[in-house]
Amino acid sequence: MFTTDVQSSSSARFSLWVLVLASTHPRRLKPALLRKKFQRDFIQKCALATLIAFSFAAFPAASQQQVTPKPAPAPAPTRDLSGLWHYEGTGGSEPIAPDNLIPPMTPWAQAKYDEEKPGYGRKRAPGGNDPILQCDPMGFPRIMFLYTPFEFVQAPGRVIQFFEREHEYRSIWTDGRSLPKDADPTWYGYAIGHWEGDDTFVVESAGFRDSTWLGSTGYPHSEDMRVTERYHRVDHDTILYDITVTDPKAYTQPIVGPHRIMKLRPKDELLEEICVPSEEKSFANRIAAPAVPKPSK
Amino acid sequence: MTPWAKAKFDAEKPGYGPRGAPGGNDPILQCDPIGFPRIMFMPTPNELVQLHDRVLQFWEREHEWRPIWTDGRPLPTDADPTWYGYAIGHWEGDDTLVVQSTGFNEKTWLGPTGFPHSEEMRVTERYHRVDHDTILYDITVTDPMAYTKPIVALQKIMKLRPHAEIEEQPCVWSQENEFTQRIRNPATPKAAK
Repeated sequence: MFTTDVQSSSSARFSLWVLVLASTHPRRLKPALLRKKFQRDFIQKCALATLIAFSFAAFPAASQQQVTPKPAPAPAPTRDLSGLWHYEGTGGSEPIAPDNLIPPMTPWAQAKYDEEKPGYGRKRAPGGNDPILQCDPMGFPRIMFLYTPFEFVQAPGRVIQFFEREHEYRSIWTDGRSLPKDADPTWYGYAIGHWEGDDTFVVESAGFRDSTWLGSTGYPHSEDMRVTERYHRVDHDTILYDITVTDPKAYTQPIVGPHRIMKLRPKDELLEEICVPSEEKSFANRIAAPAVPKPSK
Repeated sequence: MTPWAKAKFDAEKPGYGPRGAPGGNDPILQCDPIGFPRIMFMPTPNELVQLHDRVLQFWEREHEWRPIWTDGRPLPTDADPTWYGYAIGHWEGDDTLVVQSTGFNEKTWLGPTGFPHSEEMRVTERYHRVDHDTILYDITVTDPMAYTKPIVALQKIMKLRPHAEIEEQPCVWSQENEFTQRIRNPATPKAAK
């Protein structure tokens, strides 16, 4: 695993980070296991990273051995995204965009934002009100910003996108229909897609409820939100992913997410990872609630 | 039922059937997954989408789905127990899809009237498309840890709805909880003091 990630003789430091980042995202575990594993793994990772760093310092010659570079990936197939995809590095677990790239909010959105108590980001605090804490649906596009994989399946008239997290899916209609003007607001919206050239799938979606957040750091949106995504398959194994959220009721300008890179995982299959309220409640009572500091008397 | 299943059954307090009573403990009251095969016995539609290696089955209720693998793989012998199991399918003749499934957790009920099952449950279904618009549906549940004989369901008839599309109908705990507080709980008779 380690040597295949080394790109050149001088990239020992890069490789170390590849190893550490890869082990920071044990995505094939169920949530309860994941939480336990994070605590245990943090200690193991620190020890491992230290050990590796020392071994490079002690044996610099070994780290300079030439490693056979990976062969170039095959070209992208024509108009085909089928397969299971996973973000490269930490790309998936970041918010839709860094705070400094979120445009100014309207007063309507600011009032909603002030009510949000996320568990991550600059407003993070324990005992928050993130809707997913009680297994309310994560919704779209938030479900795109996770470290769990998703799968594209192409069927006549639509591309189906399955998300491992929440065991959710959405249909992206490719039969030429237009977006409905009066779609009932839903958690995952209504999506249509078309191909630009042979390698870029462009998805437009609307019809979202305003009860979901844009990410784990909060940020609201309205029912007027429209999302445009571009899945640009640059080679057989790689998609460049761009997302733009346009919601004039909530933001004075569109939110443009940073370029994200997705990689094909040809041998993986999605797991069934459902958010189960009774399990989530049990976790909250056993772990999350005791961890919240009591207010001073 | 076996004694193991009878003990589970006695602990169930369903909202329907001869034992139906308010204030029950049906897992779906708190939006825990309905699971398979219970989700087959709903008045909401399901959709089948055929691909080269699998048939996808989508259920409107819970916005759930499962793949039915048709690529020749066998059922796994040690599948992690899940809510919707692991399913494989094959064709018998040109009009009958036979689906076998296993790998279920034992947290779900077989229906709104209760009835437990164990992790050893295996399910066999036959989707017999007798004409363009009609499927005859048969399902058999075999679970020797829970029942002394297989459960053979009454045959059901499914009709094609060519112009309908599956809607998004997830179970949302905050909404379900609000409904329980506002409607279910006030409707529950108070115990006599």
